Amino acid sequence: MIIYKYKDGYKIFTDFSKRIVLNNSNIKKFLNNITKKKFKREQDLYIGFFGYEILCNLLNIRIKNQKKNGFYKGLFYKPETIIDLSKKIKISSTLKNQNFNYRFNQTKILKPFKVNINFKKYKKIFNLFSKKIRAGETYQIKICTKYKNKSEIDPVSFFWKLMSVNSSPESFMIRDKNYSIVSCSPETLIEKKGLCVTTKPIAGTLKKNKNLNKSKALSFFKNNNKETKEHNMIVDMERNDLSKICKPGTVVIKKKKYVEEYKHLYHYVSTIEGMLKNNINLKDIIKSMMPGGSVIGCPKIRTLQLLNSQEKEGRNIFTGSFGFIKFNMDMRFNIIIRSILNYKNVSEISAASGVVLDSSSKKEFSENYIKAKSLLELFK
Amino acid sequence: MIYIIDHQDSFTWNVVHQFSQFDKVHCSDYFDINKKFLNKSDVIVFSPGPGSPKDYPETSKIYKKYKGLKKMIGICLGFQLILYNEGGKIRQQNKIYHGYQSKIKVNGKSKIFKKNKVFNIGRYHSLKLNEPYFSKNLNITMRCTKTNTAMAFEDNLNKIYGFQFHPDSFLTENGNFFIKKILSSK
Repeated sequence: MIIYKYKDGYKIFTDFSKRIVLNNSNIKKFLNNITKKKFKREQDLYIGFFGYEILCNLLNIRIKNQKKNGFYKGLFYKPETIIDLSKKIKISSTLKNQNFNYRFNQTKILKPFKVNINFKKYKKIFNLFSKKIRAGETYQIKICTKYKNKSEIDPVSFFWKLMSVNSSPESFMIRDKNYSIVSCSPETLIEKKGLCVTTKPIAGTLKKNKNLNKSKALSFFKNNNKETKEHNMIVDMERNDLSKICKPGTVVIKKKKYVEEYKHLYHYVSTIEGMLKNNINLKDIIKSMMPGGSVIGCPKIRTLQLLNSQEKEGRNIFTGSFGFIKFNMDMRFNIIIRSILNYKNVSEISAASGVVLDSSSKKEFSENYIKAKSLLELFK
Repeated sequence: MIYIIDHQDSFTWNVVHQFSQFDKVHCSDYFDINKKFLNKSDVIVFSPGPGSPKDYPETSKIYKKYKGLKKMIGICLGFQLILYNEGGKIRQQNKIYHGYQSKIKVNGKSKIFKKNKVFNIGRYHSLKLNEPYFSKNLNITMRCTKTNTAMAFEDNLNKIYGFQFHPDSFLTENGNFFIKKILSSK
């Protein structure tokens, strides 16, 4: 079962008739085959995720010497039933009788959380990347840290618990027989309708407190050098990624540098849009937009190479993308951040924050913890 | 036709779209040049990119081959790459500008832009031209009003131009103006 936040409600996707495990060699075929399918009903779509590694591979970036736990590089499902939980509940299904008879575990914590790199190691990578920035090899780079424990989880109860405190616009949950994912991702990477493609990068996060409101948050971001610079860079980078697949002259910043308010925080956001060139296929779109720039750094290729040379553990789903592709080629994908992956009785939560020259290693290291905190608290 | 040589940057396609307003553009990676198209092109553009000019000997070769034969334009790394090939030393700055908006001013050496005109522009660079720098034909024509850093040059004899800043960035006001002026200069 999959739940995906949709505007003011949620959609539940279930009764899967196909489950397609992606790898580096079948991904192109998978995307090509969608082109041949017909879109007749709402259920005519694939929903699932691309992991970080398979996206790097599409860009011809190989990852060597990383510890891996054998989790799927990408996985997509064909749902036969979609339940729309908005103001009105609507069920669309190809099946007469929906069957649902798997049993799932209750949450059990077997061993407490541990972080995979300590501050000393983090600082070493941070200083190395600062040097690379000074030398012009990268302009911004995001180091990932990972929290892991041994546990079994009940993802559905986790998901609704999470939604009650932080129902961010790209939240989703996947519950499969051998793994589950719970995420409150805030960021839409691709929204494609017809030829129109929109992306909504977030760069800049501010924790709420009593003295803040939306306009004060905006002036904080505007007056904060680091946030402004990071945001500018991401806007130009996303304009670039869209320009690769869009008609010249059609890429525009629809809404520049505004604040979105959530239960616990403010985000600094821009909306950028373009119209696709005529000969663009699904693979071109995925390759050009993923992995999402705001969680990697800039410029993308060199920065990915640097990251992969320093991170000793596979990112799995983190900074990959979850979403759906309809058989009429419309799609919506997020950036997978703020997520729990439970696989083989291990839950992992990843967080990343950016090295730019005005940041301090201590601050960024603890920001990673703050980002993971609301997810860590679900286990309490 | 304009040939844009991409140094695998995440801003190159903004440059492509900008130049596309004026002529047909072909863009390829620096290690995957279409020699036929390159030869046919009227203008060659060296894109921004990570690292420093010495990391791209292939592009330097192209620069030397076509110098004086075609109009050439360098942006950011491309700007540095041309200066590097013209005997300039490229070094790290004390303060680093990534995602900054600055003011620059045109000096008296420009033949294309009006003297003392000030522009708001977007910057993404760790390195800069080491000065003093002297060249017979190539003049620094714009500078940062605060730090005096070299921000543009013109070699009107060989038709070679460069911008340290990004005319393609949304931080640059009226960025198309710079490109239009350079492309239309005879």
